[in-house]
Amino acid sequence: MQKFFLLFFLTQLNSLVSAAELHIELHTQDNQAMPNAVIYLTPTKALSPSTPHSVAIMDQIDRQFSPHILVVQKDSQIRFPNSDSIKHHVYSFSPAKTFELQLYRGLDANPLLFSKTGIVELGCNIHDWMLGYVLVVDTPYFAKTNRQGQTQFDLVEGEYRLNIWHPRIKANSKNLEQIIVVNGDTSLHFQLDQALLPDVNQYEAVPADVNDYE
Amino acid sequence: MKKVLALFAASFAFTSGLQAAEINVLVQANYVNADQQASWYAGDTGILAYSHSGANIQQAVLDVSDSFSSGLSYEVVANYYPLGEQNIGLSQALLSYKPLSQDTVRWRARAGLFYPAMSLENTAQGWLSPYSYTQSAINSWLGEELRIAGLEMTLFSPGRVRNSAFSWELHGGLFKGNDPMGAMLTWRGFAMHDRQSLYNEQIPMAAYPSVTGAYRLNHPAYVEPFHEFDGRLGFYVGAHLEYYKQSSVRYYYYDNQADPNQLNAQRIYGWRTRFHSLAMQHQFSANTRAVAQWMSGDTVMGKRYVAADFDAWYILLSHTLGPHRLSARFDKFEVTEDDVFPWDWNDSHGEALTLAWRYDFNAQWQFGLEQHFNRNYAASRLSLKQDPQIEQQQSMAVLQYRWSY
Repeated sequence: MQKFFLLFFLTQLNSLVSAAELHIELHTQDNQAMPNAVIYLTPTKALSPSTPHSVAIMDQIDRQFSPHILVVQKDSQIRFPNSDSIKHHVYSFSPAKTFELQLYRGLDANPLLFSKTGIVELGCNIHDWMLGYVLVVDTPYFAKTNRQGQTQFDLVEGEYRLNIWHPRIKANSKNLEQIIVVNGDTSLHFQLDQALLPDVNQYEAVPADVNDYE
Repeated sequence: MKKVLALFAASFAFTSGLQAAEINVLVQANYVNADQQASWYAGDTGILAYSHSGANIQQAVLDVSDSFSSGLSYEVVANYYPLGEQNIGLSQALLSYKPLSQDTVRWRARAGLFYPAMSLENTAQGWLSPYSYTQSAINSWLGEELRIAGLEMTLFSPGRVRNSAFSWELHGGLFKGNDPMGAMLTWRGFAMHDRQSLYNEQIPMAAYPSVTGAYRLNHPAYVEPFHEFDGRLGFYVGAHLEYYKQSSVRYYYYDNQADPNQLNAQRIYGWRTRFHSLAMQHQFSANTRAVAQWMSGDTVMGKRYVAADFDAWYILLSHTLGPHRLSARFDKFEVTEDDVFPWDWNDSHGEALTLAWRYDFNAQWQFGLEQHFNRNYAASRLSLKQDPQIEQQQSMAVLQYRWSY
């Protein structure tokens, strides 16, 4: 029994000692804060497998996907409700998850399982301007940068593979994937080496009085 | 017993099919303070549809639609109008096909009875206007005399898939029918209303002596705009360009290719009608927009027995303030005759101002008020010993109920 307590104490101590905060700041090539970019950290040593239990939500509100970018851990379930009073026809051709869903108004479709990592690009066959992303990652450590281009993680010290993703970041930009070592509280700053792809975010601002028959 | 079971199974399949269908019902009840000049529905020459003050069902629309994962969908729009010769019928019935695609240039198609998407005013369900009750001269006429019974193919490229602010669409349509289109426009002139013609409907008009006289054109005092007389295909082409969802431009060219020398036993003629339509919309802010449309064309019947050029435009401003929508539209329209018979007077022109306020109580109920003024001239009134130049006014209060299943 004593042995067990000792072990328990040591484990707790160990985890207390090795916990660290990681601050990340991301800037564009022209030194602007880069908001809404996905940062995810995969431990280079294998994690004990964890299956996500909660069901994530990708909603359709005012003829837009909400959120625009949803990050989930592999093997997550995602529910696609329809908060609009009209019908949507959601689809994806992405290899990570190919599907189509007829979202009748007021009807709730069953959640879908996302069991492959990768980028899933969502469209609506009725509203061609609708575009959304699901990024499926093989780690529980993921976040999106805030307006200041910042985010933070509470992590166990160690070595991680850090990835940065956003639809406007060119895939051939440097340093989108790199190995970092977290040893005590750490602050990292990254700057993109290439200009962003064109900003077409105005598609997210469909005026409230645009009619569905236009 | 087997038959009964089969019938039961079939009816179950039908109802479960309908369960997935979307059913939209819209009813507008109004009180109209009508102008004293009676309308073509009363065999007279006014250009507003109502001839008497009173309460009416203005619109009663049943819209049934469904879509399938294959990209196939259908829509049927049935209307009830107390006004007019035929009270119940279809205004649209079409099948659409829009396959799922990840290409930057995609295609889709429509077949059946429908409107080309040339109006940026008639964007509410059932081809109604979300702005005013009395529609622009251009779209009142299109709702009255134009309907495509045919096939439309569209190539389109949504800007978002190309990371571009611009989206475009190219439309091409082929159709049968619609040969007598242009008759109402020429003889009565442009009018302003929201009474869409039902398929194969007869539209009455005043008995102009030059039209109905036995030794004149000997044409009935009505028009049936959807006939096919000559077996020729009509066509239209259209192009849309859109900047985000903020600005859009739509150009169409329509030609019914009717043989103007064909006529049926009722002595209804084919009218060769061609026109250009250019529609624009700009969103100044999330709540304020301008919509405009310009149209120019010509029509000819017989060996230039009746021929006319027509031009019209409108500009509409609309502003939403929470549940309120305020709209104002100015219309100008003109028909100029250019034919061989000096005794058939078809020049007409006019201008109009329409002001509307619509208030949404909730998703089901809406209330609105509209005031309309026009000043218009029709030379054909002289043949009925009327003053060719008149001014008309119409006030309207409308309660609208929408129900969706």
